Amino acid sequence: MAGPSWLAWTFASVVILVAGYCLTRLVASWRRHRPSDHRIDVIHVLMGVAMAGMLVPRLRVFWVGGWEVVFGMGAAWFGWLAIREFRGRPTVGGRPGHHLQHVLGCGAMLYMFLAAATVAKAAAGGSAMGGMAAGAAHFPTLALVLAVALFGYVVWTADRLSSLTPVAALAARSVPVPVLAGAGPGGGTSIVAAGGEGGHGTPGSDGQAPAGQARQAPLSPRLAACCEIAMGVTMGYMLILMI
Amino acid sequence: MASQAADARARAGWLRGIGAVHEESWTAPDVRRRLQLALAGIWLLDAVLQFQAFMFSRGFSQMLGATAAGNPAVIADPINWSAKIIAGHGTLTNAVFAFIQLAIGLGIAWRPTLKLALGASIVWALGVWWFGEGLGGVLNGAGGPANGAPGAVIIYALLAVLLWPGSRDRAAPFVAGRFTGANVARALWLVLWGSLAYLALLPATRAPKALGGMVSGMASGQPGWLSSVDNHLGAFLTSHGPATAVILAIVLALVAVSVCLPRPAARAGVVLAIVTAAFIWIAEGLGGMLTGGGTDPNSGPLLALVAVAYWPLASSALSATGQPNRIATTQPESPEGA
Repeated sequence: MAGPSWLAWTFASVVILVAGYCLTRLVASWRRHRPSDHRIDVIHVLMGVAMAGMLVPRLRVFWVGGWEVVFGMGAAWFGWLAIREFRGRPTVGGRPGHHLQHVLGCGAMLYMFLAAATVAKAAAGGSAMGGMAAGAAHFPTLALVLAVALFGYVVWTADRLSSLTPVAALAARSVPVPVLAGAGPGGGTSIVAAGGEGGHGTPGSDGQAPAGQARQAPLSPRLAACCEIAMGVTMGYMLILMI
Repeated sequence: MASQAADARARAGWLRGIGAVHEESWTAPDVRRRLQLALAGIWLLDAVLQFQAFMFSRGFSQMLGATAAGNPAVIADPINWSAKIIAGHGTLTNAVFAFIQLAIGLGIAWRPTLKLALGASIVWALGVWWFGEGLGGVLNGAGGPANGAPGAVIIYALLAVLLWPGSRDRAAPFVAGRFTGANVARALWLVLWGSLAYLALLPATRAPKALGGMVSGMASGQPGWLSSVDNHLGAFLTSHGPATAVILAIVLALVAVSVCLPRPAARAGVVLAIVTAAFIWIAEGLGGMLTGGGTDPNSGPLLALVAVAYWPLASSALSATGQPNRIATTQPESPEGA
């Protein structure tokens, strides 16, 4: 049992759009020296390509196998970052370890590919998602749990969306780093958490913001958060379809 | 640690300097906002369940049409009429339904559209309660606590009212009473849980083998562990159905009156409500979500969410704040009152 093809195309278009946008972010960040979390942009590009191929087999323009390794490594990498973040700054923000969101995303992708592999033969000639659903994925309860957790992150991200000011993705805005006076711990923690929610609001992957220097504005944190939402909803749809 | 804290402050100041963050426009979610987000998450889950292949088939319209049976003509005729329309335009109507629920879920989660989405959710829930659930089986006598009565979707509307972000909050010993006031909220609780207690005593639940058959019927198509639980529970209830229905009614009645009792008893009532909701949810087979044919998680999680909204707050959280009828909270309020 699979969803209608137009719906698969719709969701595939959404994730391709997200992947394309994140690719643009990577290029813009490199060309214009705009701060962005490259790790998250890269994983979104990979997820977008992989999910589009799962939703619509005709969109499998890249390799077919090996995605399990890619997302397994992604889950391990973001897991390591989450642990490091948790150990390093246990009191930052209301939710230590926002990388957990990406651990969950990579884990969901891994689950979907592993489940799809078990029914790939049954899906010969049909869509990958159709095959996955027809084969009744192993551990359907896990699929539901993953989907619910992803929706939790989606609403959490959407809640914080209004805290992020739109910043033109291609604007070459240079701003000075303000003097730190007045940046109290309370405000500081909330801001870091808000930027971290989208995963793109921090000034750079190294977390350095040298005072006194002019810095470029970060690539639109609000659009980046919207990418998280779009990816979460689509991934949740795919997981539910596998039940 | 000191350098890390300084680094965090440096980044915070940098982001504030470029205007990437509105400090003034966003505050950490308080209890009510968290409950609103939980409601938003359930709406999202509903939306995605609505996208399942089964919902685009004729089976969905037949399922809706079946809710008309036993209802008065004034209720049943519009249900049959809408079911025919959905049968004729299954793809379009179901897609519209799913996208509406998606919009409601995201709208509740995004603060600027919170009130709009909550208002839409009330209208939508009332419509679905009638056209999709046949008023939850309340009028045809088929409804019982274990099959979603008085209609899972009406609890969405109830939650939207209880969690409404009013411009001025009223003093209430629980979050659910901040918009409506404590007395109205208590009355709503009494109606909800009292009606469940009453429905548990109707033949649809109390008749021999009725409850057992209802629960065993949920086992079909479920994963092994849930199928096993429902089959065992169903077998037990088949032999002890009437007694269990009476006990369930008593428990539900105790939950209903607990809202009027002093704080310790009220808290015990809320805990009992959550445990009962969990039992109901298992009996409902998790709303059939794991069968590929469930449209929503059914009433169990929503009853638990309602119960959490009635958790009696500590007296320190009820102290005056200088504004009449305003509850002091440990966390700052957002502009939306969330």
